[in-house]
Amino acid sequence: MDYFLYLTQMCGIFMILAMGLNLINGLCGQFSLGHAGFWAVGAYTGAAFSVFTNLPLPGFIILLIACLLGFITAAIAGLIIGIPCLRLRGDYLAIATLGFGEIIRIIFMNMDSVGGPRGFTDIPKLSNLFWVYFFVVLSIIFCANLIRGGYGRAIISIREDEIAAESMGIQTFKYKTLAFCIGAGMAGLAGVLFAHTTQFISPNNFTFMWSVIILLMIILGGLGSISGAIIGAVILTLLPELLRLLGPTVSEWRMVIYSVLLILLMLAKPTGILGKKEITFSFGKKEKA
Amino acid sequence: MSEEFVFFLYDIATYLLNGITQGSIYALIALGYTMVYGIIKLINFAHGEFYMIGAFIGFYLITSGMPFVPALLIAMIGSGLVAVLIEWIVYRPIRSAGRISALITALGTSLFFQYAGQRVLGADPKAFPQAIKVKTYQIGEIYITNTQIIIFVSTILLMIFLWWLVNKTKIGKAMRATSFDMKAAQLMGINTNQIISFTFFVGAAFAGAAGVLVGLYYNTVEPMMGMIPGLKAFVAAVLGGIGIIPGAVIGGLVLGIAENLVVGLWVSTYRDAIAFAILILILLFKPAGILGENKKEKV
Amino acid sequence: MSQVLKTDAITMQFGGLTAVDSLSLEINQNDLIGIIGPNGAGKTTAFNMITGHYLPTKGNVFLNNEKINGVRPAVITQKGIARTFQNIRLFKDLTVLDNIRIAAHSRCEYGFFDSIFRTKKFKDYERKIEEEAISLLSIFKMQGYSDHLAKNLPYGMQRRLEIARAMATKPSLLLLDEPAAGMNPNETIELTKLIRWIRDEFKLAILLIEHDMRLVMEVCEKIYVLDYGKTIAVGTPSEIQNNPKVIEAYLGSEGVENE
Repeated sequence: MDYFLYLTQMCGIFMILAMGLNLINGLCGQFSLGHAGFWAVGAYTGAAFSVFTNLPLPGFIILLIACLLGFITAAIAGLIIGIPCLRLRGDYLAIATLGFGEIIRIIFMNMDSVGGPRGFTDIPKLSNLFWVYFFVVLSIIFCANLIRGGYGRAIISIREDEIAAESMGIQTFKYKTLAFCIGAGMAGLAGVLFAHTTQFISPNNFTFMWSVIILLMIILGGLGSISGAIIGAVILTLLPELLRLLGPTVSEWRMVIYSVLLILLMLAKPTGILGKKEITFSFGKKEKA
Repeated sequence: MSEEFVFFLYDIATYLLNGITQGSIYALIALGYTMVYGIIKLINFAHGEFYMIGAFIGFYLITSGMPFVPALLIAMIGSGLVAVLIEWIVYRPIRSAGRISALITALGTSLFFQYAGQRVLGADPKAFPQAIKVKTYQIGEIYITNTQIIIFVSTILLMIFLWWLVNKTKIGKAMRATSFDMKAAQLMGINTNQIISFTFFVGAAFAGAAGVLVGLYYNTVEPMMGMIPGLKAFVAAVLGGIGIIPGAVIGGLVLGIAENLVVGLWVSTYRDAIAFAILILILLFKPAGILGENKKEKV
Repeated sequence: MSQVLKTDAITMQFGGLTAVDSLSLEINQNDLIGIIGPNGAGKTTAFNMITGHYLPTKGNVFLNNEKINGVRPAVITQKGIARTFQNIRLFKDLTVLDNIRIAAHSRCEYGFFDSIFRTKKFKDYERKIEEEAISLLSIFKMQGYSDHLAKNLPYGMQRRLEIARAMATKPSLLLLDEPAAGMNPNETIELTKLIRWIRDEFKLAILLIEHDMRLVMEVCEKIYVLDYGKTIAVGTPSEIQNNPKVIEAYLGSEGVENE
């Protein structure tokens, strides 16, 4: 039962991560491979806050402050990385963000105060199902409202055609940075929740492979779709567990299956399950874009 | 000159030597990256895996008693053939779908080889047999091994061969034409699909050679060995100017030397961060690389 | 008439190639001016300098007497220059309405958090923008298409949408890059009327690049002719038609037709 609860929380955490990357990659069209780095920044910041300050406050208040700090720190990291990198396009941006993601991990590896390569232990278990899904709902509302307003449309126009967007008076660099920072911040938030769920984090939790898995989540669900990101997160969080049910051999092949899945998806249906569509609860109303 | 300073110079010389050896390996892998990028504008993430495959073919052949040189050649052909197969099954169908789709596919292919390799070949590192007896030569306080010399000389020979292939042969001319303008080359009667396959073959064969040489140098092979050198070779290719063949060599050597100097004189735990830091700096200040010309996107 | 745009001998060099050589344009309010010239004469490069996509190697660009070279394209658009593209660049996967609303976004009056919390200010302004967009679409005879995806429109309508989108930025100068490219004769005649009508209705200046000589001669009051980056003639349509230099540029000195 505990394990089931843990999995449900992990689903929520990955939903937030996937929605954040969807904002950068799916909506703004900026191909980032460094998402795990921002996840790490949030996780380490949040954990450091709750472990080192040890404030005499109720647990959930500490968690909320940690979440805020994690969001802000990761967003600042996003700003620092985004300002130089977002001038690059397409595959070059992908490689540069990959590089930064790895640098972040190597920095944590070299920080003895947070455990270095041994990992950060004894993080209080402040997160629970309620808080994870509280932030999931908050993220959904945030993203949905964003894309239904002018700022979201400006971000989407960059994905559609950056030169045309600039020519229509959209300061593309500003909006790219905005999307990048918010996406990074959301990854940071997910990191704080992750650290306070698992109670142990180490640099190996945040390898490049996880950036790829989060990317796979949003591609699977359909780049640019919030509901797609959520579905993708659920599928890829639960898939390893289902594979485990099929026997230990199958679960060992998990990453092989993921990589084949990724290739097949790109070859067969590059738009993912939902394409850019959203699942909405207002029946009969046609969703625009 | 104080004695300390002399030893410092010896240290520097040793770092340079190690840097050149390592840089040669990066250069060999980077060549394939740069050739494939030059011809179809794809960052072939799986390129590091061809290096791993070459190393393993070499490992099995030498373990079974084959001498070094034929093992090296068969390893090169083997990784070349795997690359041709991959290009045919995976990259060719995705070519028209855009660069990002192709990049993601390459990422998937890379992960596939890494993890399938772990399952099929075993995740533990394997000891690479000593195909050639190591001899150490001493010049003052500098030590140089025959494997280092072999790596450096093989790299130079392979470069010369590549230069000859691209600039002096008919197929090389076709490669240059395809990379310059694929459609026009097609109209001129060049079978561009064949040329692309050939490019993958040559690039992967070089990576395979690098794999065997690394096995010889570090005496160990493992399925994940391709990832980091693959990424670094990409950095080397960008550093030198992606798509430019001499650029890959320069980029590889610069990166190898820079890494060894930083590791030797400063801290070793940041070794893997150096390449990425260099990459980011070069992308920001001279995205076209050392030998490239800056181009502006057409409106 | 007040001056809208002035370029002061702008020059653009790419390596050794001089794409545009000392181009001096003067455009006043209500002007309708054309730039013509053979392929590769530097017309689009001139547009890219005016709109800030390229920084001129030499010379200055003034918009309403304010120097604008070195200013980012988006800011130039906000200051009043809008453009279309030679190869249509719509936001293809978005609706017609969104295409227009994006162009209106730079005048947005609500803040980021208004849009997240969907405040009254946000809702009021969104309603206003939508009404403006719909009335703009009906001006361009596209009412009823606002929910269509831009990529699904017929070609001629895509060209019109691109002009409508440019107009949504409320420009004082409109640059049209080959607006009639790919249109059939009927569509071109419609377009000719539309261009003139836009100028009269919105009281702005229009600068256009065009290969369709009928359209240029009919609609433009003044024409600049470029050849190999150099301005070889300036004048009214009838002056240009009889200018020997222009005829030579188009037909070649040996009379070989190349266009």
